[in-house]
This record gives sequence, structure tokens and C-alpha cells, in this order.
Amino acid sequence: MRLLRLISEFIKVSFQEESAYRVNFAISLLTSLLTVGSAALSISVVFGQIDHVQGWTYASTMVVLGVYLIMNALRSLFINPGLESLAGMDGEVWSGRFDFSLLRPLDTQFMITFRKWRLFSLIDLFFGVLVTGIAIYRMEAAVSIGQILLFCLMICSGLAILYAILLLFSSLVFWSPGVMFTWVFNGLFQLARYPLSMYPGWLRFILTWIVPVGIITTFPAQVLNGELSMKTLFFGIGLAVGMVILASCFFRRALKHYASASS
Amino acid sequence: MTETIIAVKALSKNYRVPVRSEGLVSSLKSLFHPSYSQVKAVEDLNFEIGVGEMVGLIGPNGAGKTTTLKMLSGLLYPTTGEVRVAGYVPWERRPEYLRKISIVLGNKSQMLWDIPAMDSFRVLSEIYLVPEKEFRRTLDDLIDLLEMKDLLTKPVRNLSLGERMKCELTASLLYRPALLFLDEPTLGLDVSMQLRLRQFLKEYNRRNEVTVILTSHYMADVQALCPRVILIHHGKLLYDGALDGLARHLAPFKLIKITLDQKNGKTFLNFNQPDDKVEILEHEENKYVMRVEREQVPSLTSRLLQSNSVTDLSIEDPPIEAVMDQIYTGGAA
Amino acid sequence: MKHPGWALMRGFWLSWLQYRSFLFILAFGWMIPPLIYMLVWMMVAGSQGIAGFSQGEFAAYYLVLILVNQITYAQTNWTVGDMIRVGEMNRILMRPIAPVYDPLASEIACKIIYLFFDVPLVIVLALILKPEFHIGFTEAALFIPALLAAWALRFLWGYWLALLAFWATKADALLVLQDTLVFLLGGQVAPIMLLPDWMRGLAEMLPFRYMVAFPVEILTGQISGTAILNGFLMQAGWLTLAYILTMVLWKNGVRRYGAVGG
Repeated sequence: MRLLRLISEFIKVSFQEESAYRVNFAISLLTSLLTVGSAALSISVVFGQIDHVQGWTYASTMVVLGVYLIMNALRSLFINPGLESLAGMDGEVWSGRFDFSLLRPLDTQFMITFRKWRLFSLIDLFFGVLVTGIAIYRMEAAVSIGQILLFCLMICSGLAILYAILLLFSSLVFWSPGVMFTWVFNGLFQLARYPLSMYPGWLRFILTWIVPVGIITTFPAQVLNGELSMKTLFFGIGLAVGMVILASCFFRRALKHYASASS
Repeated sequence: MTETIIAVKALSKNYRVPVRSEGLVSSLKSLFHPSYSQVKAVEDLNFEIGVGEMVGLIGPNGAGKTTTLKMLSGLLYPTTGEVRVAGYVPWERRPEYLRKISIVLGNKSQMLWDIPAMDSFRVLSEIYLVPEKEFRRTLDDLIDLLEMKDLLTKPVRNLSLGERMKCELTASLLYRPALLFLDEPTLGLDVSMQLRLRQFLKEYNRRNEVTVILTSHYMADVQALCPRVILIHHGKLLYDGALDGLARHLAPFKLIKITLDQKNGKTFLNFNQPDDKVEILEHEENKYVMRVEREQVPSLTSRLLQSNSVTDLSIEDPPIEAVMDQIYTGGAA
Repeated sequence: MKHPGWALMRGFWLSWLQYRSFLFILAFGWMIPPLIYMLVWMMVAGSQGIAGFSQGEFAAYYLVLILVNQITYAQTNWTVGDMIRVGEMNRILMRPIAPVYDPLASEIACKIIYLFFDVPLVIVLALILKPEFHIGFTEAALFIPALLAAWALRFLWGYWLALLAFWATKADALLVLQDTLVFLLGGQVAPIMLLPDWMRGLAEMLPFRYMVAFPVEILTGQISGTAILNGFLMQAGWLTLAYILTMVLWKNGVRRYGAVGG
């Protein structure tokens, strides 16, 4: 309860900070539209030439894109701003202001995760949901309520995996200029806009087992296809839980390291 | 003595510093087999501080002041030794402990840059679980003391350095901490601002019995605020006691200021005894300032008075800055 | 006497070299979108090919495109707006050398650093993906001027957009728009020939194809004869327009800048 109050306080302040910068609503809307529009258009170009690729139709591929947009929106809604204020180019670890954060009577991970919000990303979130909705409708397959719920569950676990990966990379900042890893990851994450099976075997392997960005968007879409087996479903949830725990432990280790090495 | 709030026993801190080597090959090698050297930042510190005390932590750059301050506040783990602050081990950083302490870093800001200070304060009051009523009251007190009513509604980035420091202080006192760590709080402030801040800290300490640990490069800060100083040099405790005693304890010399009668013409400073250890620091016409070893002061003074007609003579402890400079540059003690 | 632009370029080269790991990561990020579409199209083509393209031809097209995209991408355009807003422009205006040399020198310097990263990577990809090249002497000879013109066009087009920052603070948004259009119509999503008719029509009219896809099409033998000639004419036309716009905006902008005081 207290934590929720704090989060709402953080959101309020972030909104004030954002309006101090006078980020233009029209410009944000334009960029969002460009992102969504070009992404959707590019898929329709591909499916203008062929009906289905590796079992994926135009509509089901569009679901993957929708999930990708949703993930990106949620990510830039709070995960990115928070982690960047910690580990980014101008972040607290560099400027030394992290000392203050460390001395707050709050769980440090909770604070760095939820203290900064970028509310303009709600526009992206809206478009992401819109694309997903239209795509599901266009799939013309009977989608049950159960499937929708499972779909939402998989989105949550996908988001958790994404968060865990980003937290891991951000924690590296305590040892070295770790932002670089996040940027490399950002590059790889773009691959998640298409279903995993669109890529050759070696890349599919990497995107499943080494940098599991493929799982983040492909699994939820597969729930709607009816292609996701129970086994894979539990695997996805297990992976999410495991990775969040792993990343949190690593973050704690990183804090210990900071406290024993910084000067 | 009053109740103890800080107890430090045999506190030491070593840093492991990676030894980097030049050249691509050896730097690649050190990527896989890094070699480290140990640097002793702080060695075997022992002291206690009572509730309500104002203590100056002084020492040259790199002496280990900041390391000590960070260990006391809970930002750093020590290598060995024990610290209890208000009954807690600081580096466990328990929320109950963190609500008791506060830190102000002169060169870093905890304010949110783009929004009015008031909003930063509100978030802090949520984080520190300050009830709304108490928050109002404390804030009103601080606003009065610091005369900063007009500052609350302006974005922090538009404030001057001094105004920002007022906000920093308010932010760190909002939850009425029992212990305040101040690291170079007057850095970059103009003289009158420094004065006002000192007045405020003194007044606040008197009213609220808050314990204050201060590090500063301006001895004036320390002189104005801290009856007691702890001097750290090369990581070791060199002096712990009253500020007045510092010079006496550390500087084995005094200053003799002498003005000679010029009408009398002849000046005669006879220092040429073999064991005289005298150094003339300033000389301007008939005025001299000289540094003399403590035990020589009586004999030298009488000799000076005998052989000259003196209009004025005073014997003083050297100014604190001069003593510090001597220690810092590796002279005395 | 040596042109002072060389000194400027050396300066940029040295300072960019300091940030090479940063630049390599940027280059990596830019490489991903064409890489995605290469892989997707190769999967779509399968073993029997699609719309006249075989897997190997897609690989060849996109590998060249990755390099061309990198060479023509005008990164400095993004900083022009900031420089105008922060007042950095003053420093550059004070130099005894035409201000356009500043971004130009920076461009060339960092391009060379990018290529140190890109070329080895493209070679590795080529070994994995087995592209089919059939490059003749004519194609290679025509590729070079087309590439240079593409780079000049992309740079100047972005530059005049960025110069709008003299009047509007959010001119950067137009650069986002340009990037999007290059992505869609510049041959990245698909070779122009595979676009739906309405998009292909737009692509052939608008300048964006001539910033990236056109030289790639020449080198991979997708177009020939009059199509190449038309392409060069379009390039020349758009380039002239971009040049005129840049000059006009620059002159008026600097006058305004001086009047407002930055």
C-alpha cells in the first residue's frame, strides 16, 4: 500500500519534470505514429509477396509486432527511465548522486525501478494495444477468454524477462561503463519484432537461449495461435521468475561491490 | 559526557586498486588476470562522539576523511573494525537507521532539477514516512530559519548556488534526523552565504540537539562550528580534541610579532646563537613576524627586549591554517 | 597550401577515435534493421526464390545495402539543431572557414571509423550467408558516382531540414520523418521492385530511394540502361534542390541568428 502511494508520487513528479521540458505532445504523437506506421507497413510489404512464412500469417505476424510495440512502450514507460537515471550517460553512478539513493530508507531496487516515468509512452502503449487488437481480430480464429488471459500472463512474463535483462546490464555500471551492453541489447531486441521462426536456425538458437529476446514477443503470440504447448508456457513463466530473481541477486551483489570499492 | 551516538573501534579500510599497464598486450592480460595493489585509505581509527556534538573531520585531500564519512553513514563497508551509529551498524543500511541520519554533499545535489523544490520535498517526506502534519511543521521551521519562502516554487535549476544549498539542507532535515553528515557544505558559496549557513547550523544544532559531523576545507567553517576536531592524515588519527588545543598540540612553535622603535635608529636582532631556531616570516620596515620553537620563546623574548627598544611585542599561537598547512605538506608532527 | 578542412578532419578523426567503441555500437544498431529484412526475405524466398529474387541475391543486395546505408547516413545532422540552440554555432561562425566544413569533416572522419567495424562484419556475414554477386565492370564503375551522389544527397537533405532549427525548436522531428521514409522507401524494408505499386511509385519520385537503394541496385544489377540514366537524373535534380534549399536557409538563418543573438 505504501509502495503504491510512493509509485503514484513518483509518477506525479515525473509528469511535472516532463512538462518542465515541455516535451511536445504533437511531436511525440508524430514519432509514435511513424514507428507504428512504418512497422505495420513493412510487414504488409513482406506479406504482399507471400501468404504465410513458416506457419505465420500476416495477422499472426502482426500480433508479434503488436506485442513488440507493447513491450517497447512499457519499457520506455518506466523501466528505461529508471535504469537510465541510474546507469545512463548522465546517471547517478557517474555523477556520484547515487550515494543519496543508497541512503534512502527504501529498497534500492524498488526505487530505481519505479522512480522515473515517461508518460508520453502511453501513446505508444495505446498504439501497441491497438495493433494487437486489430491483428487478433484479423486472425479470424476463435480466441477464447482463457487464451486472452494466458496471453496477458505471457506478456507479463515477457516484460519480466525484459526487465531482468536490462537490470542485469545496468548493474554492470558499477564495474565499468556498462551502458554499452544495454545499447547492444537494444540492437538485438529489434529482432523481436518478427516471430522467431522467421530467422535461420543459428540465430533462433541465440535469440532463445543466449539473449532470450525472441521469447519475449513470440511466446505471447503463440498462445493466440494455439501453438504454445503447456510445457513451453511453464518454461516461459519459470524463465521469467528465475531471471528476475537472478537479476535482483546480481543487483544486490553490484551494490555490495559499489560499497566496498567506491571512494 | 553525554550519551554516545557514534562509536568507532579499530576501523580500517583498504582499497584494492587495479594496476593497469600500458600497451595493448599487457592491458589485455590484465583484463583476464588483473593485478591489484592495496591502498590503505583509513587505518585503525578509534573515537566516540556524543549526542548533540558538532565535530569537524579535518585533514588534507586524500587523507581518508570522505572514506571515514562514507563508512559512518553506511555507504562503504570497512575492511576491519567496528562502527555503531545510534545503535546500528551503518552499512547494513536498515531503514530505521537511514531515517535517523542525513547526508549533505557540497558538490552533489539530491534535488530534482527541473521542478520546484517543494515537490522534491514532498517526495522525500513520502520516502521517509513523515506524517503530513509533522512535515508541514518541520518545513515551516526550516523555511523560517533559512529565509527561503520564495524559493519553494521555483524550479531548482533556476536557483543560485547558495539558494540550492538551502534547499539541500532543508531536504536533508525534513525528517528530523538525529545525525547530520556534512561534506564540504560551503563549497563554492560566497562569504556572506557561508556565514549565514554557519549561523543556521549552529542555531539548528542548539535547538534540536542534532549531532553534526562536518568536513570542510575552509577552516573558518570548522572554527565557527566545531568545538571538537578529529584530524586524519594518511588515514591515521592524528588529533582528537578541542579545536583550541590543536595548534598547541601539533605546532611546536609560536609566533612572535615585534615592532621596533624606529626613532631609536639602531635595530639589533641577535639570533646568531648556535642553537637558535628562528625563522623570519614577514618583515616590513620596523615590523617583524618570526617563528620560534616553543621552548626558546622565553629566552629569545628577553634577549630581544634587552637589545632593542621595542614598542610592541606579542606572542601568539600560529593561525590554524598555517598549522594545517605544515601538517598537510608533511612538516611538523 | 593545404586546405584547412584537412586539419578539421584530423581533429574530428582523433576525437572520434576516442569514442570508437561508442561508434561501433551505433553502427551495430544501424545494421540491425536491414539485417532483419535480409533474414526475413531470405526465409520468404526459401529454396525456389520469390519475385525473381533468390536467397543469395537477397543476401547480396542487403549486404551491399548495409555498407551503403552506413556510408550515406548523415549522423551529424542530428547535432546541427543542438548547436543552433545551445549557441555553439557562434564558435563555428568565428572560424575562418566555411561552416559547412565542420559537419562535413566530422562525417568523413567517423565514416572511416565505422568502416573498420562494418567491413569485417559484412565479410563474416557474407561467409555465412553465401550471397550471389554478379558484378561487372560497368556496374562497379557506375556504382561509385551513384554512391557519392547518394551520400551528398542524404547529407544535404538532412542538413537543410536540420537548419530549420533556426526557426523552430523541434526541427529534429523532421529528421525522424526522413529516417522513416528512407527506411520504407529507400530500399531497406524491401528492394524497391518488391514494394506494392503505390509505394514503388512514391519511391521512384521522392528523393529517399536515391539516398540508399539506387547505388545498391546498380551494383547488384537490378536496373540497367535507361533506368540507371533516369536514376542519375533524379539524383542530380534532388541534389540541386537540396543544395539551393541549404544555401537559402543558411543565409537567412545566420542573419536571423545574428539578429536574435543566438
